[in-house]
Amino acid sequence: MKKYIKITPEGMKDFLFAECSAMDNICGKIENIFVSGGFKRVITPGIEFFDVFSQPCSGISQESMFKTVDNKGRLLVMRPDSTLPIARMVSSRLKSGVLPVRLYYKQAVYRNNPTLTGRRNEMMQMGIELLGVKGKRADIEIISTAVKSISSVAEDFRFELGHAGVFNALSNELDIDDDYKEKIRISIEGKNYSALNNLLDKLTPCKAVSAIRSLPSLFGGEEVFEKAADICRGTKAEAALEYLHNIYKDILPIGLGNKLIVDLGLVQRNDYYTGIVFAGYIEGIGDAVISGGRYDDLLAEFDAPMGAAGFAIDTDAITLKHLSDDNADYSDNPDILVFAEDGHEIEAISYVESLVKQGKKAQFSVLPTLEETREFASKRGINEVKAIG
Amino acid sequence: MKPLRIALTKGRLEKTTIELFEKIGYNCDEVKNKGRRLILPIGNNEFEAVLAKAADVITYVEHGVCDLGVVGKDTILENGTSFYELLDLGFGKCRFALATKKGYDFYGGYNTKTIATKYPNVTRAFFDDKNMDIRIIKIEGSVELAPLVGLSDGIVDIVETGSTLKANGLEVIEWVTDISARLIANTASLKLRKAEIEELQKKLETVTQ
Repeated sequence: MKKYIKITPEGMKDFLFAECSAMDNICGKIENIFVSGGFKRVITPGIEFFDVFSQPCSGISQESMFKTVDNKGRLLVMRPDSTLPIARMVSSRLKSGVLPVRLYYKQAVYRNNPTLTGRRNEMMQMGIELLGVKGKRADIEIISTAVKSISSVAEDFRFELGHAGVFNALSNELDIDDDYKEKIRISIEGKNYSALNNLLDKLTPCKAVSAIRSLPSLFGGEEVFEKAADICRGTKAEAALEYLHNIYKDILPIGLGNKLIVDLGLVQRNDYYTGIVFAGYIEGIGDAVISGGRYDDLLAEFDAPMGAAGFAIDTDAITLKHLSDDNADYSDNPDILVFAEDGHEIEAISYVESLVKQGKKAQFSVLPTLEETREFASKRGINEVKAIG
Repeated sequence: MKPLRIALTKGRLEKTTIELFEKIGYNCDEVKNKGRRLILPIGNNEFEAVLAKAADVITYVEHGVCDLGVVGKDTILENGTSFYELLDLGFGKCRFALATKKGYDFYGGYNTKTIATKYPNVTRAFFDDKNMDIRIIKIEGSVELAPLVGLSDGIVDIVETGSTLKANGLEVIEWVTDISARLIANTASLKLRKAEIEELQKKLETVTQ
């Protein structure tokens, strides 16, 4: 039988040296922002009950989860997302505490993606959740933290803002079942104008139908609000639209300029999000690196109804992007290698410590002779070898 | 500014797409005289064409190494996951159909039916919608052969004129969906290079109606 002892499973990878320092660097920058915003770190288990993620609104398909069973035969999964475990934790362990709570996480999530697509099945993610509060101040706090996070790791990015309530209000005005609604949502999500038109042509024309027809094209700068206001006048989407416009105006002082985009066609995971939604994009990465929004209904699934909002950042994708940038320097070579003659080992180690304290990159040589240390140094491109004793 | 990179499905779709690009005023001489090259400039370096097989067009766009793509709806239905489908380009029209031997009662009886197809995902989705269990066998070449030699009860395949079906004593019993060439875009690219992509989309709309 073939033994797979020298390779990793598909979608998994080792991180070596520069990859780790790049990841630490990226995660460190983001962590600073979270911590200085008063968010407290939590760690949830890598393995959870399947039930936590099987809520209809979770948006995680059962085939995308790695599953196993416990010794009672109950279905377990490798954590495919961090928000649902945090909702579980808050609804049980923090329910009686003082709300709101600010939490952040830095942990991997696991997805069983289709094979041979080059996708990663283990992804480091960082994110925050602000639980136990609704309203504009919480939304602005989440958005500004998200913007700070993405600006700390990328100069050029786009930040797009939408509101789940716009599509939800419009689609609720139509006399259609959930399946049909979902088909419409998918075609808006994919900006698939022809499929959307086909679906809407089968419905009785009304204000909401024509408003939905324009949703995927309603993206851009502040002018979008004017267009949308005309299109949505007299529909139930007006409230959500007005709320979003106010948020847009409130966050203008952040100074995003043309980096800020409004997208009313942002309807991803619309049965999960209930209010503002946003996503961030960086040049060179083909998918959103940051995504989040308000999900006020989720905690009710855990019998602890409360307002909630948050976002997740794909720090792996950002790390790989940084490593591919030519100007990023993550070389981890020491400047000095310190060799100890017999009996001078502790002295040499103390010397290394003193060099490091001065800000130099120094390392204690563990090779048996000075010659071998010199040979190693020249192979690795280390400039200086110092012998002690 | 880097040129927008557009993946074209090699062959007929590529030729018609190039005609459209010429109609809206871009010089495509390099693509027409490509020789063996696979990456070619269009216009005054506004675009860069990448020539690929249909399913690969989707892969390149999904991963964001190409900003845009031109690909048939058949390939999107079979392989697509997440990207924007911006425009029905209106050419490369044909249809997916369910076909059987002439006069065969496909929906009759209680036995589970077998379908031979090059498009297992399209077939699966079509019968899922009918809540119908089906046995699917993937075939690489001429699918019409399968019901004739008794491998399957029917086929799901692309039908343009229907002459191959007719010549082999098969008939269409149901249309599955319409197909034509589509302009697709990577999700991040549409956000990062909105103005350029929208301009192209508008220009193409004027020549595809």
